[in-house]
Amino acid sequence: MPPLFELRDVCFNYDDIPALRGLSLAIAQGERVALVGANGSGKSTLLRLLDALCFASQGSVNFDGHPLTAEYLADDQFAFAFRRRVALVFQNPDVQLFNPTVFDEVAFAPLQLQWPKEQVLARVSATLELMGIAHLRDRPPYRLSGGEKKRVALASVLVIDPDVLLLDEPTATLDPRSQSHVIDLIQEWKGSSKTVITATHQLEIVEDIADRVLVLEAGTVAASGTPAEILANHDLLLRANLVHAHRHSHGGVVHSHPHIHSHSKHEH
Amino acid sequence: MHIPDGYLSPSTCAVLYVGAGAGWYSALKRLKRVLLGRVIPLISVFAAFSFVVMMFNLPLPGGTTGHALGVTIAAIVLGPSGAILALSIAIAIQALFFGDGGISTLGANCFNMAVVGSLVAYASYRLMAAGAALTSRRRVVAAAIAGYLAVNAAALLAAVEFGIQPLLFHDANGTPLYAPYRLGVAIPAMMIGHLTFAGLAEAVISAGLVAYLQVADPALLRTTSGVPDDKAEAITAGGTAARSLQTLWIAIAALMLLTPLGILAAGTAWGEWSPLELARVQHVNSPPSVPAGLQRLSNLWTAPFPAYAPSFVRSRGFGYLLSAMFGVGFLLAVSLLLRLLLQRHRRGEYSS
Amino acid sequence: MKRGFLEATTMGFARALTRAMLSEQIARQRGLLQSLDPRVRLFGLFLLVLAVTLSRKMTVVAALFALALAIALLSRVRIATLATRVWLVVLAFTGVIAFPAIFVTPGHPVAVLGPLTITEQGLRTAALLILRVEAAVTFTTLLVLCTQWTHVLKALRALRLPKEAITMLAMTHRYVFLLVETASQMFESRRSRTVGLLKPAEQRHMAARTAGVLLSKSVSLSNEVYLAMQSRGFRGDVQVLSDFRLTMWDYCGLLLFLLAGAIAVWMGR
Repeated sequence: MPPLFELRDVCFNYDDIPALRGLSLAIAQGERVALVGANGSGKSTLLRLLDALCFASQGSVNFDGHPLTAEYLADDQFAFAFRRRVALVFQNPDVQLFNPTVFDEVAFAPLQLQWPKEQVLARVSATLELMGIAHLRDRPPYRLSGGEKKRVALASVLVIDPDVLLLDEPTATLDPRSQSHVIDLIQEWKGSSKTVITATHQLEIVEDIADRVLVLEAGTVAASGTPAEILANHDLLLRANLVHAHRHSHGGVVHSHPHIHSHSKHEH
Repeated sequence: MHIPDGYLSPSTCAVLYVGAGAGWYSALKRLKRVLLGRVIPLISVFAAFSFVVMMFNLPLPGGTTGHALGVTIAAIVLGPSGAILALSIAIAIQALFFGDGGISTLGANCFNMAVVGSLVAYASYRLMAAGAALTSRRRVVAAAIAGYLAVNAAALLAAVEFGIQPLLFHDANGTPLYAPYRLGVAIPAMMIGHLTFAGLAEAVISAGLVAYLQVADPALLRTTSGVPDDKAEAITAGGTAARSLQTLWIAIAALMLLTPLGILAAGTAWGEWSPLELARVQHVNSPPSVPAGLQRLSNLWTAPFPAYAPSFVRSRGFGYLLSAMFGVGFLLAVSLLLRLLLQRHRRGEYSS
Repeated sequence: MKRGFLEATTMGFARALTRAMLSEQIARQRGLLQSLDPRVRLFGLFLLVLAVTLSRKMTVVAALFALALAIALLSRVRIATLATRVWLVVLAFTGVIAFPAIFVTPGHPVAVLGPLTITEQGLRTAALLILRVEAAVTFTTLLVLCTQWTHVLKALRALRLPKEAITMLAMTHRYVFLLVETASQMFESRRSRTVGLLKPAEQRHMAARTAGVLLSKSVSLSNEVYLAMQSRGFRGDVQVLSDFRLTMWDYCGLLLFLLAGAIAVWMGR
């Protein structure tokens, strides 16, 4: 079976500033992949490329055997089929939640995909129940907490039951309880046919959410392996700016060791 | 400058709804032709931005404060079509969600501030900043003056709308039914506040924003810079915005130029409210007498209309309306002329 | 006390947010207006505003004002809310505007105060203007207070406005709150670093800078939002649900609005 996503030597620039430089990778259907890397390593750009929101300036991006190009997406039929199968949850929920109420938000995707009205209503209600946000149905986004916003953002793409989920920092800036809720959700998809690609800089969650880890560094894939392999490779993580050497002394003996957790949770 | 419900007669409101509607229609049509999908979030967020800027309580030279409109920066960043829609949406939300500004006068407020404000700001900015580099100091000055002009043009329109109310709408007793002041009072009363505070506030914020963008985000100034550049298309695909609205401009200007030369400046009409006049008026039985100068002038302008024209065409109020429209039309025609000259000038620049 | 730009603007933000919250709260209560279909509500209240502006007689405007009061009571809008939010504000604003009209409107003199003469027409026009504006703004405020924003949007859709326009109204409203929050945070952090009042020139500079940062953020936000819309299947053509059904009650309401409007217009000719 050919890989679901196949990227070869992909380059992408934002206004002359390179974001991806000759990146190649292949992701099979049903895989759960974590993209780890420091800020500016190209994680978000890669997710957008995979969601066909921007297009490679060089190299090729293939999805299910089709090249993902602007021309391919210009065709309504292809575009709807693609949007139906692939969904992206943005890092900033304020970007994702642009509708007046939670209900409208969750109904947006199925309505754009021109599902029949009854099906839209039924699916939206079911998704709201599933995500435990049925009571927020008529709330405007400005009256949601950070955790609630994230759930609504997830619900807004899960409603169309996509095959491929692209998650951009799904647990960043969440309180611990909301974090574990999101992680539980991703874990539930293990073994299903869903492909889940998660960009994160929180190394402590990758074992829970991924079977394979890709380390991104300066716009290319620096390493690929199982979570255990990658997390054990301290030199690699240091080089990719994912951990930092921390010097401190124990009874007069100064030593240094890398820290495998994000700064936000770093306490000493 | 938001006109609340009750100040304008329903017919005035209707006319101005039509005027605003023409602006909305041509702006939407123009943007649709380009790429409405991209423009929807841009205009929406920009409208939200204008809304927030309108809430800024700006300190002005001289120790007072004033509120800006945000129409100038909208016209500079989005071009006129985008600015018309963004401002209209901000004004509509103020009316429909916060209850500020009327519902019946929504058309009037949008016409004054969003449609005419955007067009005046855009035209004067383009004119004064023509040929200047993106980071040129001239653009900052141009933005300030454009803001000052736009707010005052909108205020003048509002004043004219107020001022024609007592002439057109009063009961048998001579009691004005809506805004009570005639042009001679309404215009100076409105303009004093706007020539000072509101106009200055808009000038300050527009200049400040352009200066900020020149350093922080010059790409946003590119759309209306007049500098041919592929990237100008990136924001609103605004390249067409330069040619845009030409028809609307010409239509408005032509409509208003059709009206004969104005009673606006006629001495008696203006001086009607001087103490001397008032003293005289007090002794006259109501309805108040028609000033002689006005009478003469109104005969002058009704003359071209054939005798079988509907009677309202010959009425004094209609004359005021037409002459007021002429005043505005004159302003617009001048801007249009300047624009045409400018375009010729620029064409010459590129071909050379 | 003289307040600086930060304080005055922050207070303005807080006031707007309080208003928004209050509307949402009242709109969820059970009451006369709340029980009607939003389209009927929007249309009916617009009709009454129109009747207020069409009427040429003060008595009819006063009667409409009384009707507004009755609707407010039946819709559980507190009179104190209307008094502080509408009546006093209108009285202060329109009162100042209308006051000189007492003297400068030509007509029958009723009293002479030194060089100034009060005319009958002046008194009447000033009273009529204030009453008219009070009545019209009360109706508008009732609409705003008793209608959730999403219902306003749905009702506007029924007016056959282009759906792009409605989508933009909805999105603007949504992002007003985000931008107000962002601006407040910028002010807050600025205030924590500022001791005492800034000079006006510094305040102006800060205002422009704040607005500039906000503008840059707005534009990049709109870029992101567009991507988020595309990602969920948006192709430039907005698709919406419309699920309104008029009940017998709504038709009754509509009929009553029409009747009240028609009577007022006829009586106030």
